[in-house]
Amino acid sequence: VQGKKLIPHKAPLVLTSNAVQKVKDLMKERPDMIGVKIGVKTRGCNGLSYTLDYASEKGKFDEEVQQDGVKVYIDSKAQLTLLGTEMDYSETALASEFIFNNPNIKGMCGCGESFNV
Amino acid sequence: LRHIQLSKSSSNSIQAVRPMILMPSQQMKFSSQVPEKQTSTDVLHLSKNCIKRLQEISSGSKFLRVQVEGGGCSGFQYKFDLDDQLNDDDRIFEEDGAKVVVDVESLEYIKGSTIDFHQELIRSAFQVVSNPKAEQGCSCGASFSVKL
Repeated sequence: VQGKKLIPHKAPLVLTSNAVQKVKDLMKERPDMIGVKIGVKTRGCNGLSYTLDYASEKGKFDEEVQQDGVKVYIDSKAQLTLLGTEMDYSETALASEFIFNNPNIKGMCGCGESFNV
Repeated sequence: LRHIQLSKSSSNSIQAVRPMILMPSQQMKFSSQVPEKQTSTDVLHLSKNCIKRLQEISSGSKFLRVQVEGGGCSGFQYKFDLDDQLNDDDRIFEEDGAKVVVDVESLEYIKGSTIDFHQELIRSAFQVVSNPKAEQGCSCGASFSVKL
């Protein structure tokens, strides 16, 4: 075990350029915040749903993802379910939303809001 | 005149007679109220956010079409579209230049509700809120079941 190199692990979360841009825009509105925080909540017809909030500080067990100058924190409870997820942002005239392409999910609600792993 | 005659003819049955005489006038009052009531619940309300957003995105003759379809996890789901084609069975709700169009069939399921543009960090989208016809639906608000 001694001397064993740490294997560089994949980033737990990857943001697309659209998502990076949107997070940047969000941060401009609230310069007092240090980043955004992703969590999951037990809600919705399929078990879990994502939450997104401004983060004023890094929580003790939060995972920090830095990409292209934006900081995204992942709530400790969400780390396992989010591992390997791609965070995208899509905007149309009618709706704009962050989309999480999560390889771990087994099922999804029709609207895509809730999921199970 | 009839009222007086009747009440004069038998003072004992005044109590019984009176309601009978009052009935027609009550009915008239009631029937004149009904249409008013119907129109007030027939409308769709547009929230301030909805109006603002519609003014931003709808240029020219474009309007927001709201439809109710079968589907979703609770049986019915709302569908939003930007459209510029009016059909015969459409009803138009307009406020401050913001235009929402619902076809008569869909309106049955959503009359009395409010169309809102809900903004959150994670998503902003049009929503149908406080629908008097809907039982508690999907958490995302896209799907609902109808109260029977």
